[in-house]
Amino acid sequence: MINFDYIRTSSAKAAVDVKAKNASSQFIAGGTNLVDLMKRGVTAPEKLIDINGLPLKQITEDAKGISIGALALNSYVAEHPIIKAKYPLLAQALNAGASAQLRNMATIGGNMMQRTRCSYFYDVTMPCNKREPNSGCGALQGQNRMHAVFGTNEKCIAVHPSDMCVALAALDATVNITGTKGDRKILFTDFHRLAGDTPELDNNLQKGELITSIHIPTNAFNKTHYLKIRDRASYAFALVSVAVALEMSGNTIKKAKLAMGGVAHKPWRLTEAEKFLIGKQPTKENFIAAGNMAMETATSFGQNDFKIKMGKTAVAEALQHATRNI
Amino acid sequence: MSYIFPTMPTQNTNNSRRDFLKKSTAIAALTIASPVLLKAGENDEKIAALFEHIDLKLEVNGIAHTLSVEPRVTLLDLLREQLHLMGTKKGCDHGQCGACTVHVDGKRINSCLSLAVMNEGKKITTIEGLANGEKLHPMQEAFIKHDGFQCGYCTPGQIMSAVACVKEGHANSANEIREYMSGNICRCGAYPNIVDAIMEVKKGGQLL
Amino acid sequence: MDNNFQPTETYFVDDRADGIDKVTGKATFSAEFQLANMVYAVFVCSTIAKGAIKNMILSKAKRAAGVLDIIYYLNCPNVPGYNPYAKDPKKKGYEWGGLKVFNNNLVYSNGQPIAMVIADTLERAVHAASLVEVEYIKDEFDTDFEKSKSDEKKLIKPTEYIRGDVDAYKNGEVMVEAEYNIPMETHNPMEMHATIAVWDGDDKLTVYTKTQGPKGAQSGLAKNFDLDEKNVRVVAEYVGGAFGSGLRSWPILPATCIAAKKLKRPVKLMLTREQMFTQVGYRPQAWQKIGISANKDGKLTGITHKAKSNTSRYEDFGEGIVNVSQFLYDCPNVNTFYHLLPLDVNTPTWMRGPGPATGCFALESALDELSYKLNIDPIELRIINHATIHPVNKLPWSTKFLKECYALGKEKIGWQNRPAIAGSVLEDGMLVGYGMAGGVFGAGRGQATAKGILKADGTLLLQSAVSDMGPGTSTAMANIGSQSMGLPLSKVKFDLGDTDLPNGPTQGGSGTTSAIGTAIMAVCTALIQTLKEMAIANIAAFATLKPEALKYENGIISIADNASINISYTDLLTQANKPEIEVIKDAGKTSAEAEKYARNSFSVHFVKLHVNPTTGVIKLKQIVSVADAGKIIAENTARSQMVGGAVGGIGMALTEEVFIDNRYGRYTNSNFADYHVPVHADTPPIDVLFVNKADNIISPTGAKGIGEIALVGVAPAIANAVYNATGKRVRDLPITPDKLI
Repeated sequence: MINFDYIRTSSAKAAVDVKAKNASSQFIAGGTNLVDLMKRGVTAPEKLIDINGLPLKQITEDAKGISIGALALNSYVAEHPIIKAKYPLLAQALNAGASAQLRNMATIGGNMMQRTRCSYFYDVTMPCNKREPNSGCGALQGQNRMHAVFGTNEKCIAVHPSDMCVALAALDATVNITGTKGDRKILFTDFHRLAGDTPELDNNLQKGELITSIHIPTNAFNKTHYLKIRDRASYAFALVSVAVALEMSGNTIKKAKLAMGGVAHKPWRLTEAEKFLIGKQPTKENFIAAGNMAMETATSFGQNDFKIKMGKTAVAEALQHATRNI
Repeated sequence: MSYIFPTMPTQNTNNSRRDFLKKSTAIAALTIASPVLLKAGENDEKIAALFEHIDLKLEVNGIAHTLSVEPRVTLLDLLREQLHLMGTKKGCDHGQCGACTVHVDGKRINSCLSLAVMNEGKKITTIEGLANGEKLHPMQEAFIKHDGFQCGYCTPGQIMSAVACVKEGHANSANEIREYMSGNICRCGAYPNIVDAIMEVKKGGQLL
Repeated sequence: MDNNFQPTETYFVDDRADGIDKVTGKATFSAEFQLANMVYAVFVCSTIAKGAIKNMILSKAKRAAGVLDIIYYLNCPNVPGYNPYAKDPKKKGYEWGGLKVFNNNLVYSNGQPIAMVIADTLERAVHAASLVEVEYIKDEFDTDFEKSKSDEKKLIKPTEYIRGDVDAYKNGEVMVEAEYNIPMETHNPMEMHATIAVWDGDDKLTVYTKTQGPKGAQSGLAKNFDLDEKNVRVVAEYVGGAFGSGLRSWPILPATCIAAKKLKRPVKLMLTREQMFTQVGYRPQAWQKIGISANKDGKLTGITHKAKSNTSRYEDFGEGIVNVSQFLYDCPNVNTFYHLLPLDVNTPTWMRGPGPATGCFALESALDELSYKLNIDPIELRIINHATIHPVNKLPWSTKFLKECYALGKEKIGWQNRPAIAGSVLEDGMLVGYGMAGGVFGAGRGQATAKGILKADGTLLLQSAVSDMGPGTSTAMANIGSQSMGLPLSKVKFDLGDTDLPNGPTQGGSGTTSAIGTAIMAVCTALIQTLKEMAIANIAAFATLKPEALKYENGIISIADNASINISYTDLLTQANKPEIEVIKDAGKTSAEAEKYARNSFSVHFVKLHVNPTTGVIKLKQIVSVADAGKIIAENTARSQMVGGAVGGIGMALTEEVFIDNRYGRYTNSNFADYHVPVHADTPPIDVLFVNKADNIISPTGAKGIGEIALVGVAPAIANAVYNATGKRVRDLPITPDKLI
């Protein structure tokens, strides 16, 4: 790791100004991903801007929903009584990620900013368009068991590794951002990008911009579940994960929000399956049909062929689980 | 072959299998380290001069330290190599095993992923600070009683994590303990004994 | 079977001797010794699978702050063991075994150490190492086990065994023929291999290192650097796990010594987790094919067992994978083949249960498959084919309580609840399955020396140079010493992990307890004899007696038929004016008497699990491991070894696999996030049962050995339970969720 310049700031404005002026600078909050990437030489910022002193740790509820500061810790959010009571899907997804120690370090904003866990991205001797544009994609014809089946192209088939983001995508959250040109907000589902021609970009933040909070609108989802399938029972990234949020009225599905993790460069919303489920009964047949529909456009790359079948079963199982007490 | 350089060629026991270079179609290639690091390395002299050590004040096991550290030093390496508190272990250095678990302001974290300078003014507790003099902490007692280890290398991390697990209120059942302790890998496989130890401490209801 | 067997009495059950050090962080592992003036070394590793280094560009690295030296093939000082013909061109001297680090510019595998950067701080060494640029001449390479295993030209060293008719299984009444695969698995102990080396002048070397054999490391280093063995001290006081990775010396050991000598200061090097995958061995990848047949009544008629496993290009490492099929069951016709496949990877090595762990996965899975075809309970099938005489050497076993293991485990797991038809029973909405499989390992006994010092304060200090990677050697030895000397456990201490102590064996192959235990018993016997003689010589009341007429217990010597005439060890030593008495005893290898017997430890593992019928996710519910390991010396630590072996078996069965990208010949998951070692949440309650019958033929301790049989057989037991739950036979480990959907 290079020895970098380290500064602390307690002002968001100062933070974004420094960041905008220094091409080789990065914000650091929990550091759980950034320090790891620096140790591996994937990234080598010359300046780290420690933003832990910014007042962005609060959870505040209002009539429209709930705002979570970008620097709130993953564990704090997962344990927060309002989150547990009203947004249990988010709490469940947060607790499915990483370990208790890492959740005590990682922030909400940092969770959104984490980079892919693709082996080729991490190994600086291997080709990776995300790390080194135009060096090629090592995973395309290599070890791609963990890789994407939606929204891929020949430049990048990496997946976004977050669990939390899958739940936030299902919950129609918005992201509040500040930058040198002022504040703005974008839909959570628009925050992360597909690889496209610029796999080096994970999200739509502009130069110097900083996430300040996320907002989740009030909802009437009364049946939710986060299902994560992985190679060991805990402390592993998802092979496939599914966030289910249903608004049920009696035995009828009024609203359905579904998102998947481990399958794309961003949390993947299953809009066709959502539409299909509206007005339906919570039957096994309907859930299997939703699962099949969810994976219709998936394409795989050899080692990850299983994800298409696993995706179908995971959607069905997550729906089944969410509604099992009906 | 011309491109086998000194020192002395080896006296191989199975030369037939090692003379692959003779029949190879050699391709010259430049394989380099991380480009971003090399780029940074060009400025290294400058960087070395530019980046001063940073003053850092923190408290470890009740003892205040005033230090001067490079920003890149992790809390783990600070504890082990500068403060010589070797009880906190390096098991992976990437937040993937939990051997380096310490408490920062009462919360368990992986010290390998925390830059030391980010702990300004904080209170760190390591395994060395858990016992009260000669009197072992109840979790340490329970680990001995239930033989919650074999080689002992992951043990400080397991114990620090276990104490936090109980304090956080995540020790209400064996399954909950298993989930909330999964960030601490034990290659010797002492897991069932560790769970027994934590259950006992939880049931004992001592103030941890 | 003998339903009325009486288990042998165990020694005391007590806490681990080194428990307090381990829970307080006081236990000092290799990298944790504080030496004045110490500097830090970091390896630069190859990034190609095969070829040569054309050029190393060190300018940037040398300029980096704090760099003291960079050692590589062009400036590596002379290492005598690298040049075995240097002294006499006609006669080969000692040659360092394995990769001769920095000896030349050849690259044999990815991740091979090719240079070493030494700097004043760890951070500076790490950074400078990342600035070393390497120009390679790349060569064609092959790391593809799957593809190359079918190419006969690439295979070496076929070994063959034939008993009776070849391929008799093909004519059997009921037959199973199947292929089984296990991937590379790594030991990855929690403590990464580390070494601190320090020289005193040019002829005295002290090394703190992770090793399972301090004496072996000492001897290798002495020869490699042409030193007098007594001038080399190896310290391995605490070893943070090893599981076989510490059985031999790897490049880190000579490299650190080379650097410390060149810099004339203590040098410390700890491998990174990534380097743990490429530099300290692993369980080789293996393909196996089994053909097995039986009569309709279940009597085995033929077994053909073929195996191929990988080695490196620069060393041949093979293990007894197919041997289990030769002797575990009574079968008239058995033939086995074993081939090695050299690839451009680092060398594998023994990993917990080497040979049988791999072999039993195939054999015990195949037997399970056969049991369904025969419609005979798998336990019953094994009992029908129980071998009472070792089928290869035709010797009786010293002890064999395998049938007792079946009986104990069957009851504990609730075998009667096992679904008769695979994939047929739901429990709490989950498919439920039960499985079992056996394990075996050789129970030898090596040479060992121990010293005993009985002090006038009544304490006994025992010493041997063995190291303890975790099983609890000091606890077991203190137990044996306590029992043999008639002293309370609290008065007995066992020192280990330092070559300044008497010669101890390498800890491996489950033989530590019997080897050193035998030496300790000899030491104690001699100490007691000395005490008795001292009593006769110094104490009037005993003056006319012979030693045989005296007895000892609770730290007291007394007249055998009149315990009221007695003297404590403490008083005796005081009165004889001896501050202490010291004895060194050597215990040889297995006795001639023992050679008349076949010698093995046995285990049987039982598993209950759930499989989600929709997602294929496995949830282990319970494991019962039963061992015929001879007499149990220290129950607490013995139980922990069994539990740990079961967890290792869970990894082998369900989670562990090294991936290689064969286009680059490079591992792609050499870290703990992607190479999945089991975590707490993977581990169910594990019950351990011991037959606990002494085997006094192998050694007077009665112990046979636990470490290997704890793991051997666990993976097939899990795979068999998965089949019982789902009706899906998975023959390629690990059984990840994708294989069950």
